Amino acid sequence: MASKAKSSRWADNEADAALEAQSKKEKEEKKRLKAEKARKQQIEAEKQQQALEAQAQARAEAATPQITAHRQKQQGDELGDDDSANGPPVKRRRLSPERDTRATDSPAAVGVAPDSSSNTKLLRFEGGAFGRCRSVENYDKLNDIEEGAYGWVARAQEVATGKVVALKRLKIDPKDRSGLPVTGLREIQILKDCHHRNVVKLQEVVVGEDTSKIENIFLVLDFIEHDVKSILEDMPEPFLASEVKTLLLQLASGVAYLHDNWILHRDLKTSNLLLNNRGQLKIADFGMARYVGDPPPKLTQLVVTLWYRAPELLLGAARYGQPVDMWSVGCIFGELLTREPLLQGKNEVDELTKIFELCGIPTDESWPMFKRLPNARALRLPAKTPGAATGPVIRAKFPLLTAAGVSLLGGLLALDPDKRPSAKEMLAHEYFRQDPKPKQEAMFPTFPSKAGQERRRRKRTPNAPGRGEQAVDLGAVDFSGIFSGREKEERGGGFSLRMV
Amino acid sequence: MSHMTNPLATPDQLYQRRSFSSLPAELQDAIIFSSQCLTQAAGVLLQLPQSATAQANVILARYWLVEPFMSHEFSDISAASLYLVAKLGPSPRSPRDISNVYTYLLSPASTLFRSPPSLPPLRSITSTTLSESAYQAFHSRILAAEARILYALSFNTHVSLPHPLAVTYLQAMDFLGVRKERIAKRVLAYLNTALLSPQMLYLTSQPNALAVAAIYNAAKDVGAKMPECEWWEVFDVDREELGFLVVGMRSVEGWARKMREDVPRLGQGMISRRTVEEEMEKKRGLGVGNGSGGGQGGGELDVEAEMARKMDEKMAEMEGVA
Repeated sequence: MASKAKSSRWADNEADAALEAQSKKEKEEKKRLKAEKARKQQIEAEKQQQALEAQAQARAEAATPQITAHRQKQQGDELGDDDSANGPPVKRRRLSPERDTRATDSPAAVGVAPDSSSNTKLLRFEGGAFGRCRSVENYDKLNDIEEGAYGWVARAQEVATGKVVALKRLKIDPKDRSGLPVTGLREIQILKDCHHRNVVKLQEVVVGEDTSKIENIFLVLDFIEHDVKSILEDMPEPFLASEVKTLLLQLASGVAYLHDNWILHRDLKTSNLLLNNRGQLKIADFGMARYVGDPPPKLTQLVVTLWYRAPELLLGAARYGQPVDMWSVGCIFGELLTREPLLQGKNEVDELTKIFELCGIPTDESWPMFKRLPNARALRLPAKTPGAATGPVIRAKFPLLTAAGVSLLGGLLALDPDKRPSAKEMLAHEYFRQDPKPKQEAMFPTFPSKAGQERRRRKRTPNAPGRGEQAVDLGAVDFSGIFSGREKEERGGGFSLRMV
Repeated sequence: MSHMTNPLATPDQLYQRRSFSSLPAELQDAIIFSSQCLTQAAGVLLQLPQSATAQANVILARYWLVEPFMSHEFSDISAASLYLVAKLGPSPRSPRDISNVYTYLLSPASTLFRSPPSLPPLRSITSTTLSESAYQAFHSRILAAEARILYALSFNTHVSLPHPLAVTYLQAMDFLGVRKERIAKRVLAYLNTALLSPQMLYLTSQPNALAVAAIYNAAKDVGAKMPECEWWEVFDVDREELGFLVVGMRSVEGWARKMREDVPRLGQGMISRRTVEEEMEKKRGLGVGNGSGGGQGGGELDVEAEMARKMDEKMAEMEGVA
């Protein structure tokens, strides 16, 4: 066909054109470099001259102000001369785009027919390179930090640089015939892609010395002194309102970054938030995290540690998204205020009970899609009687929180996932603009390091659900009694004092 | 931004593989090409989305730029990369499924790599499934290869494909005024063919450049009118890279046809390490056995081989003395 002939002829043309373009480009490049070099030398000379003059000036200034004035004028004249002789002065050159200077600097360039390709600025995409892992022998172990459900973590020092890092060993079950754990691989991939000040940084992945079989895999992470959970457990007084705001802002900014990059963390909780001695918070442990698309794919509901798990997950939603993380952020908010996990359910049903007690019973207005969730059908909810309080009691539970704080917390703990604010919206919330203003990170109190020397205490928190476990079918559950106590309380005073 | 970029091969890596591998260049190309074809065929039979299979192709190519060819069986590396990518994505496949598919594709019942492809497809399942012990051995090999791939790539399994970008670019250019499916299909065909290229285009160019080159080729093929200006610059591709990719993508088909003629072994099933060893042996053997009667006009080659043999002998002598 004609197209074939055309294409082959074209291919020649293209090759020729490419060659031509290349040689032209090279010439241009050489010319540009030359011009640049000349310019640099000139700048250098000018700078030296100026420095000399400045010195002279300083000396002269001490002596006679008159001479200084004269000098300054002279200097101005000199610069003016420069301008006409060798091109525009330093100051102006910085302002003008490079293309213009090239055109004026080198008269030869004007003679060349305008070639758009040499002038256009093309974005260059840098994706890095690939290559083998290094060996763990590049690090010296200092001490163990933690050994628990997440596997083994140790403090270590890089031999070449002396830098202190955290080594986290990827937990591998040798009996598992599905190979390296997919959660670990996802964690590595996601951490590799993340570069944000509030997300823990993965420096590299190293393997054990024997590379004939890859069994020992270590993540080399930034070493961070504390986790928020153990700080909360040990502090005699809760965080100040200003400190809570700083922590929340950092958390929200990290989560906003993750969500912007299509990552769901799915296990946000205080023990996964690290805090260094400079008041910087970093989100860690991406063992449950994964990339999602829009619309979100079908995902497992068995994610997020029970106490931080959103109601739609408990009710078996197969499609969920960023709001599950925002629910966890709400739980963390509450925990930062009281030093106690907010919703400590003993099991799925108890967790749901605690949620409904705090946030109210879902209604058609508060959560229109509620009835369609798989586990919602079996639930028996208290009949809605006019006057009976089945709404949220967040205001009553946090009497010291400002109205803006309650509105943010209430928003994050909205039963309907669609009503929760996104992390970006949260960052813009009124709460953070009100007094007391968020405390500067550098002004943050420091805490005695546990991770530094001793072994971290085992957490009382339940762990994130294991992979492959069966999602709990809630079955028929009767929630109709959960508000019976509350009604009695409410009847007592008829009003409540509000502390601001 | 990482969703649009890939880690690329360094010039050093490309040079090392070409120059210091124990295998001649055309054998290297044959191994890469047939392993990529095998991966694609397995992806189809495993009903994986092409996005997953294509990622496996890229992982496979990267692996062989870091590790020597002969350290694992080629089909095992192909299976392991497919297994790994599927596992990380939304559609994991069990080792059992992968074993069945690869066993079939490597068996004489498969029409892949076999010409004429007129053999009756898949007569009986039993003839193409492994015994339990053979399956266990395959399974262990896949897991070992998986770990090896991850080690070789520093656990970086990130692959950005140009396919979605290409569709977006096409939309931006209003499909160049031709029927959407017609040009889009052609573009995707170029992108998928490029996965098989022994030039490893996916390791030398970023997705945006691949997408633009595929659109250029497709537009030429369907006779669509492209903008008069240097439109590729809008997508951050320069003329030189575009030219290289356009030629690279177009040459795959002809190159593959020629190779099939040159290397008749390719028509007798997937090449294995043994095939390669035999091939190497034959080359050496030709030189030693009958210097003049090479048959395929390999006079120069024989002289070279003869010289290499003499040097080997000399070395052996010297070592023997020392």
